[in-house]
Amino acid sequence: MIPTRRDLFAWGGGLAGGMLFTPVPWKVLDDVSIWSQNWPWIPQPARGPVEEKLSSCTLCPNACGMRVRMAAGSPVGLSGMAGHPVSRGALCPLGFGAHQLNWHPSRLRNPLHRGRKTSWEEATAAFRKALGEGPIAIIDGRTGRAASTVLERFAAAHGATYAAARTAEEKALGPYQRWTGVPTSSLGYDLENARTIVSFGAPLLDGWATPGRFTRLWSERAAGSSNPALRLIQVEPVQSRTAAFAWRWVNVRMGSESALASALARVLMEERLVTARGPMPSESVNELAGKTGLAAETIQSLARALVERGPVVAISAGDNPSVAALNVVLGAVGARGGILRRGGGTKSPVPVEALSGRMRAVLIDSTVPWEVRPNVDAEVFRFAAWHGGTTTADWLLPAPGFLEALTDVPTPPASAIETYAVATPLMAAEGSKDAARFLAEIDPAAGSLEDAIKARCEAIYHAGKGGLIGPEPQPVKGLASADKLYEALGNGAVWTGEAGTPGGLRCDLKEWPGPSAMESPAGWTDGWTAPVLPPLAAKLYRESDLRQAPARSDV
Amino acid sequence: MKARYGMAIDLDRCTGCGACMVACASENNVPRLPKATERTGITPMLVHPVSDGKTGVAFIPMPCMQCEDETPCVKVCPQQAVELDRATGIVMQMPQRCLGCRYCMTACPYHSRYFNWWDPAWPAGMERTLNPGVAVRMRGVVEKCNMCHARLHAAEDKAAEAGKRQIEAADYVPACVESCPTGAIRFGDLNDGASEVAKASRTPEAFRLLARLGTEPKIYYTSKRAWVRALAERHPAGEPSQPAAPVAAGGGEVKHG
Repeated sequence: MIPTRRDLFAWGGGLAGGMLFTPVPWKVLDDVSIWSQNWPWIPQPARGPVEEKLSSCTLCPNACGMRVRMAAGSPVGLSGMAGHPVSRGALCPLGFGAHQLNWHPSRLRNPLHRGRKTSWEEATAAFRKALGEGPIAIIDGRTGRAASTVLERFAAAHGATYAAARTAEEKALGPYQRWTGVPTSSLGYDLENARTIVSFGAPLLDGWATPGRFTRLWSERAAGSSNPALRLIQVEPVQSRTAAFAWRWVNVRMGSESALASALARVLMEERLVTARGPMPSESVNELAGKTGLAAETIQSLARALVERGPVVAISAGDNPSVAALNVVLGAVGARGGILRRGGGTKSPVPVEALSGRMRAVLIDSTVPWEVRPNVDAEVFRFAAWHGGTTTADWLLPAPGFLEALTDVPTPPASAIETYAVATPLMAAEGSKDAARFLAEIDPAAGSLEDAIKARCEAIYHAGKGGLIGPEPQPVKGLASADKLYEALGNGAVWTGEAGTPGGLRCDLKEWPGPSAMESPAGWTDGWTAPVLPPLAAKLYRESDLRQAPARSDV
Repeated sequence: MKARYGMAIDLDRCTGCGACMVACASENNVPRLPKATERTGITPMLVHPVSDGKTGVAFIPMPCMQCEDETPCVKVCPQQAVELDRATGIVMQMPQRCLGCRYCMTACPYHSRYFNWWDPAWPAGMERTLNPGVAVRMRGVVEKCNMCHARLHAAEDKAAEAGKRQIEAADYVPACVESCPTGAIRFGDLNDGASEVAKASRTPEAFRLLARLGTEPKIYYTSKRAWVRALAERHPAGEPSQPAAPVAAGGGEVKHG
């Protein structure tokens, strides 16, 4: 039989119809769909052993404990370390994307001299030359670290000024340092025992100090309750997140926080609501109330609410002596639930704001926020892991990025308990060098980071106080040697010392302090060392209407 | 026993910090796309600020609502790229099956689905930070929250290695739940009456968004504030959730709670 044209059509039609009853076309369609969606240019996650390491976040001084998930030798995810004595298992929103920062397009890879690529040798030669030619300043952004010891030692040996940039929390503790002589790094707020907290603009729920500490406390004792165990009173001219969730929001005029603190102190003393006696604000309650925009009666009822449930402590957003004096009146300085003196801490160096005039050179550590620019005419050597845009630095020197170099993590500002941790490098730092290593190469007598960390471990071990939390919790006394302590800290353990105790702080006011300028609270990005934000911050600042973009956002 | 995983989100505890959004994006390899905006970005967990028009403020974290039988996206998908997993109650999205018609996006009453407008891309070297447990999705497909399904797989693997048939509750915690600094997002098996999430879902303060539609979401919210609960059923007209009018400075004391 000879197939006809008609047969060909019939077989073709039959074949096509029959195929529809088999899985073949559907499988082909499915496979084509998969193939066409998995092009080779679509990035794929690296394959390799997955492990978890403990460390501490080093992007700001607030020392949050972190769990780092590593795959194929790179961090692929961060989360909080449960049981951390200060951060309590929380991280800030920016911290969750921090592991991406090392590959940020703004990462500095080469030393730059006024925008031109240069070498470490040239930078070292330039700094060596400057050393003998006039006054030098070395600026640290996070004092109390092993690296700070190296910077300070170098400064002392070469007649340089060792200065420091301070966070808003450290500035807020400034008046107590001036009045008691105890450095701010030895002072902390005993929030855990306070029952009323009055905040003068401090963003307690939005990036103040170690974020997990207050947010967890507020969540446990205050959130959603009309009669909370912890009363949060927020004094602020705008309805911030903290104001929105406070037990009371006191809406004052911009810049009148000092006036309100003074008025409250005056009411407290006039109505004998407190036992403290001492200098009073020179202005009357009515005069001060006029400045705040509040009625005098409102201030009087607020003063009564303050002492209704003690202990009470006042916290300011920055250096505000009137708020500090209010704490003196409230008896919160050196008292349970107030401001405590804790162990550790170092003498406060010269604040960076005090530097002025003409100097030969200024070296700025990578822990100093990008925005901090000393008001001096000098050749500036600036260490940074990322380029933050406009700069007055002559030399930009690439520092190690996130978790790329050994560093220690001392007690965070405002903490009532002393802690110490070590962040070991989890990735290689190619072509970068931190300021401490740079200076130690110029003058080996400044010492090394490793030796300074080991010396701190020796000191903790011989003091025999506190204990380790982390993979193998145990008291320091249970450790065989200081080397074992160093080893445990390198594996992610956190040393926790003794909490601050009442007493040991005495403030006698000679006169009531004058008003001070209000510093605007910075929130999450205050003290954030990197001048760039993790790319995933775009989810917060651009791909949602949750937050307005911060000034230095490049999302 | 079959599980019905769900969440109970305490809106009186959410301060709108956004940690859940970043942790979710990091866990699920969601790219940061240079051209993305609040309309075209991919935010499987999205926190919405709302206000009562005066001084009341709340933040509503919105993952996929994980609807039950009447799941609109499952019903409309022509590709069977979405299905309700009866063993876990999780509404699963399979990007390899998706043809990108976006019918599910139209059907979803919660706007919890996102379209990949661009090829996923990261700055050079940053692909090393991708989570190996989650595949990168491609351009032209829809994606959404799947309750960190990779973490469920990891928990099941761990249980299997230990010779157990049931996972430990502590081994399966989605990234947003883990990251919440106030503990506002609680997660667990709604079928387990003793679980925290099941208990929270039975309180008088508990509600679900657009419950009148009958989609039976497994994401519960709780709030002691009546105006917040009222938002759940608000209709497009007369909506009270416009941004708060600024209060004049020196306006006095405001009592919350």
